[in-house]
Amino acid sequence: MKSIKSIIPLICALIFTYALNRSWGTTPPFGKLLSPFHGFWVNAENPETEEASLELLKIPGLQGEVQVIYDEMGVPHVFAKNDHDLFMAQGYLTAKDRLWQMEFQTHFAGGRISEIVGEKGMASDQFQRRMGSIYGAEKSFEGMKEDPKAEEALNAYSDGVNAYISGLSERQLPLEYKLLDYKPETWTPIKSALFLKNMSFVLASGTDDLKMTNILRKYGKKVAEDLFPNYPFEESPIIPVGSPIDFKPVPIPAGPADFTGLGSSMMTPEKDPNIGSNNWAVAGNKTVSGLPILANDPHLTLQLPSIWYQMQLVAPGVNVYGSTMPGTPNVIIGFNKNIAWGVTNVGSDVLDWYQVKFKDASKREYWHDGKWKKTTLRIETFKVKGKENFVDTIFFTHHGPVVYLSHEKPFRSNIPVGHALRWIAHEKSQEMTTFFQLNRAKNYDEYKKALTYYSAPAQNFVFASNEGDIALWVNGKFPLKAPLQGKYLMDGTDPAADWQGFIPQEHNPHVKNPVRGFVSSANQFSTDPSYPYYLGWQYAPSERGRRINERLAIMNKINMDSLRGLQNDNYNIRARKVLPLLLAQVKTSSPAQEKGLAMLKTWNLQNAPESIGATIFENWVLYLQDAVWDDEFAADEKVPMNRPALDRLIHMMEAEPQAVWWDNVKTASKKETMQDMISGSFVASMDSLAKKHGPMGPEWAWYKHKQTGVRHLIPGMDALSRLNIPIGGGGSIVNASTTKTGPSWRMVVELSKEGKPKAYGVYPGGQSGNPGSAHYDDLIDTWAKGELRSLLYLENPDQKSNRLRKKIVLSSK
Amino acid sequence: MKKKLSASYQFAVVVILLVVGAIVNVYLPWYVMGLVFAALAAVLGLPSGSGFRLGFVSGFLLWSLAAVLVNVQHPSSLPERMAKVLPLGGNVIALYAVTGLIGGIYGGIWLWAGARLRQKS
Repeated sequence: MKSIKSIIPLICALIFTYALNRSWGTTPPFGKLLSPFHGFWVNAENPETEEASLELLKIPGLQGEVQVIYDEMGVPHVFAKNDHDLFMAQGYLTAKDRLWQMEFQTHFAGGRISEIVGEKGMASDQFQRRMGSIYGAEKSFEGMKEDPKAEEALNAYSDGVNAYISGLSERQLPLEYKLLDYKPETWTPIKSALFLKNMSFVLASGTDDLKMTNILRKYGKKVAEDLFPNYPFEESPIIPVGSPIDFKPVPIPAGPADFTGLGSSMMTPEKDPNIGSNNWAVAGNKTVSGLPILANDPHLTLQLPSIWYQMQLVAPGVNVYGSTMPGTPNVIIGFNKNIAWGVTNVGSDVLDWYQVKFKDASKREYWHDGKWKKTTLRIETFKVKGKENFVDTIFFTHHGPVVYLSHEKPFRSNIPVGHALRWIAHEKSQEMTTFFQLNRAKNYDEYKKALTYYSAPAQNFVFASNEGDIALWVNGKFPLKAPLQGKYLMDGTDPAADWQGFIPQEHNPHVKNPVRGFVSSANQFSTDPSYPYYLGWQYAPSERGRRINERLAIMNKINMDSLRGLQNDNYNIRARKVLPLLLAQVKTSSPAQEKGLAMLKTWNLQNAPESIGATIFENWVLYLQDAVWDDEFAADEKVPMNRPALDRLIHMMEAEPQAVWWDNVKTASKKETMQDMISGSFVASMDSLAKKHGPMGPEWAWYKHKQTGVRHLIPGMDALSRLNIPIGGGGSIVNASTTKTGPSWRMVVELSKEGKPKAYGVYPGGQSGNPGSAHYDDLIDTWAKGELRSLLYLENPDQKSNRLRKKIVLSSK
Repeated sequence: MKKKLSASYQFAVVVILLVVGAIVNVYLPWYVMGLVFAALAAVLGLPSGSGFRLGFVSGFLLWSLAAVLVNVQHPSSLPERMAKVLPLGGNVIALYAVTGLIGGIYGGIWLWAGARLRQKS
């Protein structure tokens, strides 16, 4: 008895220790985490001193010595003796600052989040894999390996990451591993492919085919085509109207027969549509320096750690600086001695759905081209934390994966059930080769050649060189389609509905040294309708593009600072058009509403951070669109539909005041007019603002209403995020900062004849992924203020600068 | 049966635990400190009555002071952020206290367990 009693404390101690050594659901392992010798405390990093320091690190596998010099922003400048060492160092150094993020993002891309967070990650994981993320990465990896240089880069990068991982002790693990209680696994080259393919998910997975088909089924083709036109009323396309076509188009396929399909149902949340970007290059005759200047700001989800990581990579044949994407070799957006380049997304339609007719419940055969054809199967295994493995079977037709079977509930509302997915992201591709060559390109011809390897996600590649050239290629692999093919769901049994090959790459829309003296893109239509091929019917709204083009057209004596100003332009070109139309119709009754109208009438049309007019206008337009369209296009949540674009609504205000759509069909007894809708939505919008922020006053400031935040990758981790950032702009503004998305990297590069480009940049984050580092979020304030940092472009490792901090020498000995 | 420990003896025990605890923590996984505390309690023949108390005091002091020391040597915003994650309203003093408390209970429970084991034999 006594001996049992004396054992009890030991059992208590063991249970206590066990319980605090592991995580319970989302509760972290408190013992391990709080220990000041092992836990998060250890992750605190000293701010750097101005004194230069030198450190030697041994990395087995390096062929020579690599010198790494960090500047005051924490940017590593890497000097290697060959490409192998350069990429190995890139992998090692990126992992040193961003290991957790690299692994988490590739886990997400590969549908493996449930391995970390358990069952609640399953739906997202299954969606990723059903969409073919791993399948696509495998295909892409095959393509990458066909270029020996790309393969060498991938392998060396991977070895570098692993060299860092293998040198990590448990107490040195990045904070997030300690919070979520897991450990990094070995990096593999295919993870780089997964990351790049995930960019197609982020940028080229938008699909409205289902919603358009639901509209087609309810209202017929005439209404669908009238409300969802295939070119906007107001547009300023990327390739200037009237640009000559320097190729002979191939024949356009006949296209499929009309098909209405079954449509589909069920509702789940959708992703943010505000992802876009701006870029432009201005010719030397418009600049102070006499040489081109290039600017780029890709708009992505604002996240911490940042999606971008700055680096300078130097080896024989290359000296490139720019933003890299943690997880992949090379610089993605940047410049070298001779050229600069940047990207924005192309909204072309590269994702289509085919309604599948299976022979029977076994789904082993499907009907196509008058025959039963065999499906192929792919087995995916999910290692769910704290649960049994889950095994899933994906059925493929020749189009691609059947993402959801007819009885399944889709993860997002725009994904049809019972349809096979044809998607450019499943093609074999060589994006790595494009970036490898761009990093080393010296002139327009080398840039042009680099682009021929690129497939997806299609980008507007803007270019400028110190030979004086500016250019822009709308570049990627585009399916060769009949006009409007794939605007709606298609018939999977009809061979004429299949993609009929691809547009030859040299026929992609492009422009070099146009007369107007600049090239630009902001996700709007690539070309006007005279371009011989069909690329898509719907692009991002044209406001940013129109504003950029009207500014660049009149700007002269351009320098870095004036382009920085344009990147931060808050002018609301939409309001310039819409506000007079609204004010002409609105009728108000209360003093509070009168006050709101007076505010709008004196508003300078700037979406400035403190602006109250911007808040009232933006909110009103949202309410107006809800009021006009929701009765017809959001009546049944099980039949998701698109809502006509604002561009179409503006046309309705101007030209169709009697349109049937003004009436609210839910009020059977009353027939609402345009004036009723405009006034009613103003009142409702003002009431909602008063309810949210109190009586009109400083709390109505645009930035307080908009709530731009840079959020940590773990959802809900506010303590590691920066919220309520005082920044203006908005979705249709050049300064495209919205609640969750915005300019994720701003860069301006002034080229120089002598090969000494002057470049400036900033991103909303910091070089380090460690919340315990001063470099975790130190660039956010600079970004919010609209300022840029000068980027240090070194020519050799011994160059002197008062911005240099610690130096690390990497070698295998 | 009950041993009365003098104040200086108790002080000496705490100092030993602090020194040994610090060394073990620096070089070995976090859970080793408990085993070492239990072994020390058995070796020193500590009475189980004061085992928990002495272990708690040592564990509390060791963890909270080490946390303070780390934060002084490597000042960063991390403790404040973590004091929001946990959630302690961003109060770093509270975070020191919670760190000390976990270290204290951990040290106490193992010292007590070790003392009881010795008494058995």
